[in-house]
Amino acid sequence: MTAIIECRRVERTYTQGAVAVPALRGIDLTIGRGDFATLAGPSGSGKTTLLSVIGGLDRPTAGEILIEGASIAAMDGAQLAELRLRKIGFVFQSYSLIPVLSALENVEFILRLLGLPRAVRLARARETLHEVGLAGLEDRRPARLSGGQQQRVAVARALAPRPAIVLADEPTANLDSGNAGELIALMQQLNAASGTTFLIATHDARVIARSRRHIEMTDGRITLDERASPQAA
Amino acid sequence: MIRLLPLLVPLGWRNLWRNPRRTLITLVVVAVGTWSVLIFVALFNALTTGSRDTTLRFLTGHGQLHAPGYLDDPSVSHSMQAPGPALRRALDAPQIAAWTGRVRVPAIIQSEYRTRSVTLVGVDPQKERTLSDLPKEVIAGRYLAGAGDPGVVMGRDLAERLKTRIGKRVIVLAQAADGHLAESGLPLVGLYAAGKPAEDEFLFVGLDGAQSMLGLGERLSEISFAVRDERSLDTLVAELRRAAPGLDVQPWMELAPLVYTIETFGRYYTAVWLLIMFTLMAIGLVNTQLMAVFERQREFGLLQALGMRPRAIVLQVLLESALLVGVGVLGGAALAVATLAPFHHGLDLGLLAAGAEMMGESRILHPQLNALEGLLYGVIIWLLAVGAALWPALNAASARPAAAMSR
Repeated sequence: MTAIIECRRVERTYTQGAVAVPALRGIDLTIGRGDFATLAGPSGSGKTTLLSVIGGLDRPTAGEILIEGASIAAMDGAQLAELRLRKIGFVFQSYSLIPVLSALENVEFILRLLGLPRAVRLARARETLHEVGLAGLEDRRPARLSGGQQQRVAVARALAPRPAIVLADEPTANLDSGNAGELIALMQQLNAASGTTFLIATHDARVIARSRRHIEMTDGRITLDERASPQAA
Repeated sequence: MIRLLPLLVPLGWRNLWRNPRRTLITLVVVAVGTWSVLIFVALFNALTTGSRDTTLRFLTGHGQLHAPGYLDDPSVSHSMQAPGPALRRALDAPQIAAWTGRVRVPAIIQSEYRTRSVTLVGVDPQKERTLSDLPKEVIAGRYLAGAGDPGVVMGRDLAERLKTRIGKRVIVLAQAADGHLAESGLPLVGLYAAGKPAEDEFLFVGLDGAQSMLGLGERLSEISFAVRDERSLDTLVAELRRAAPGLDVQPWMELAPLVYTIETFGRYYTAVWLLIMFTLMAIGLVNTQLMAVFERQREFGLLQALGMRPRAIVLQVLLESALLVGVGVLGGAALAVATLAPFHHGLDLGLLAAGAEMMGESRILHPQLNALEGLLYGVIIWLLAVGAALWPALNAASARPAAAMSR
């Protein structure tokens, strides 16, 4: 499996007043193309920070991150935005949809940023919403969707541009068990169908149980990195 | 970036209505600000223009020619020849709308009861009508019929002071060209109302009669002219000076320096007042925009996380401001037009008329707001507001997405 994400001695230290708070302490991690990996650990272990620096939402204090073999260290804000637009999809814990846009428009938003023609955009947005089980709800704004439906829209938005990587931060945290199960099944199905790499930060044992690779973090360090047996996955 | 406009404009418009109360308050502030700026400018234009027009359309015109020394000693001894061919050609230039020659000398007027010192003005009524509003100000009797009219027209106030009335004769005395005291008995044929002190000062007779009485022959005291476009005044004055090198040629700014000073001061006053208004509006708008941006830091972080470039975030915030203020400016402009529309025939100062006369104003003010001026101030307010949003916009785009989303 070729590497799509490489973290080399990545460190991230925050400062709170005069106090330095290390969030990542020398992370070495390689994620292969098409992987479906979970990142677990207690609160404050550095899961969200690691996803942020991999996705270029934050910059590491030290170390290097490569996406598809290219270092992102020297990229400016616009280049990082372009990288995220073309290669990385995000799913956040709190849905994070644009409240003034309908479900269809939220999914179409990134496709418009990509400059795709209107017909292609609409067709792909509808198709992706259909794939996540939201056919018929395209015109609803987020306020008129349930939590589970909003998170599906967020997944559809992340997948519609067909990114190489999806980074998901606690995607099931605000969902009931039924919706959480459906969402994980959906992401697994999309991973299998399109080969998109998923790296999911989660506390949820059901998500961890269905991943092919499980990484544990404690105090900014990777303390466990294991692959599930084929039966478990 | 332009290709993103079809995405960002509707998004910006919808974002504005996420907080309708704040948007409406801002709209009202911008609209009222715009309205007050436009109304103030229209009224101030009316005041300065009214004061200037009252002076220029009484006797001054846009400029005058005199014999050297006349302005220091406006007596019959400082008269000038009627214009020769070169000066006549210059005065007949297409840029000059009208011109007329006058006799204008100090005189004494005597009724059967009183005597007053006045300025005797001999005019050609036909030419005067194209240059002066005075013929329209006659409120009793009639204006002079021609240069040879034997009657006299005086101000209503002067007639009251002299205790005379239309139909009665008055005696006019003035020094003639040969040095003797010329005297003429003339019937009062008309009274004009032009406000003090003009009503007290000027006495109008036919030009032929004045020249004859004073033994001037064809000589004149002054030539007054009006131009079609005031922007050409300097050039025309220079041409007239070339055409009449022996005469004093002066634009109205030198003839009526007080009016010119009031107008110039008015322009500066307006500029300073507008600057204060614009600054206050800008401070208010920056504050509102900053609040709106700080509230949406998380959203701007999300947009960057989704792949929107920082420049597009800046554009998004600026567009929202441009839309909001644009609507406010249009609303304010519409309100200003609606406010001024009932007064397009003039605003009667009524009880303030006496004060207005003292300021050289006419009783009727004509609020003026031309489309270009309205557009200019609207665009200034609009650009100012968009500029005021720049700092909040840069602020929104400069935060790292992770930090913005954690707020």
